[in-house]
Amino acid sequence: MSIELTVLTLAALLQGLQFVLYAVPANREIGPGYTMSARDREPSRALSDRTARLGRAMDNHFEGLILFGIAVGVIQMSGQNTALTAACAWVYLIARILYVPAYAMGLRPHRSIIWIIGFVATMLMLLAALV
Amino acid sequence: MTETTLLAAYGLLVMLTILLQVLGATRQLSMGYLMSSRDETRTTTGMTARLSRALDNSVVALALFAPAVLLIEIMGRNNSATLLAAQVFLLARIIYVIVYALGVPTIRTLAWLAGYAATAVLYFHAL
Repeated sequence: MSIELTVLTLAALLQGLQFVLYAVPANREIGPGYTMSARDREPSRALSDRTARLGRAMDNHFEGLILFGIAVGVIQMSGQNTALTAACAWVYLIARILYVPAYAMGLRPHRSIIWIIGFVATMLMLLAALV
Repeated sequence: MTETTLLAAYGLLVMLTILLQVLGATRQLSMGYLMSSRDETRTTTGMTARLSRALDNSVVALALFAPAVLLIEIMGRNNSATLLAAQVFLLARIIYVIVYALGVPTIRTLAWLAGYAATAVLYFHAL
């Protein structure tokens, strides 16, 4: 398996971990009675800032992961794997791992800079597929 | 351009939409807010809000289009019809983002339908 595919697998596992990091405190804070309901109303108790941040970090990674998944899929299908695309894949994964604590701790502007690094890594992979 | 190349091009279109949306949000909500943890909700208006909604929709379209293209490629079902479908998809989605940003009704819905139908054609060819 190529480095890009290995990293894509790890990135998807990171998303699973992010789900747990968000869902466990969310259930403790607003109660499984609410989370298991149809959620027709807003919860009576609010999420803590940190848990809400972990939720937004997870939502953001869905978008990042879809784009990164496509970049890896296209590179792999067209057999254009190079040292650059492999390096971009690692940079993406490391940036997305750091993004989670940076968001949870409310680090500013580090979170935005980390997001830009992951974004640029994905863009470079897509551009590499086209040239 | 093959179906796969068109997919890569569409990925870049979505990323361009993200950049445009961020630029608008920076002007409306300030860079300070965007870089903060956004613990209080602030919303955008006008073209930036429309770009936000266009982006949400583009990501859904991407999640449907990408597996279709990759399936066609893996199964070796590429033909002139799938290539045309992928070309129609990209063109429709470019129009979609532009007319949504400008707030043009009807054409936006038609562009969405064209992209949706093109994706469906790809899935039918995979089956």
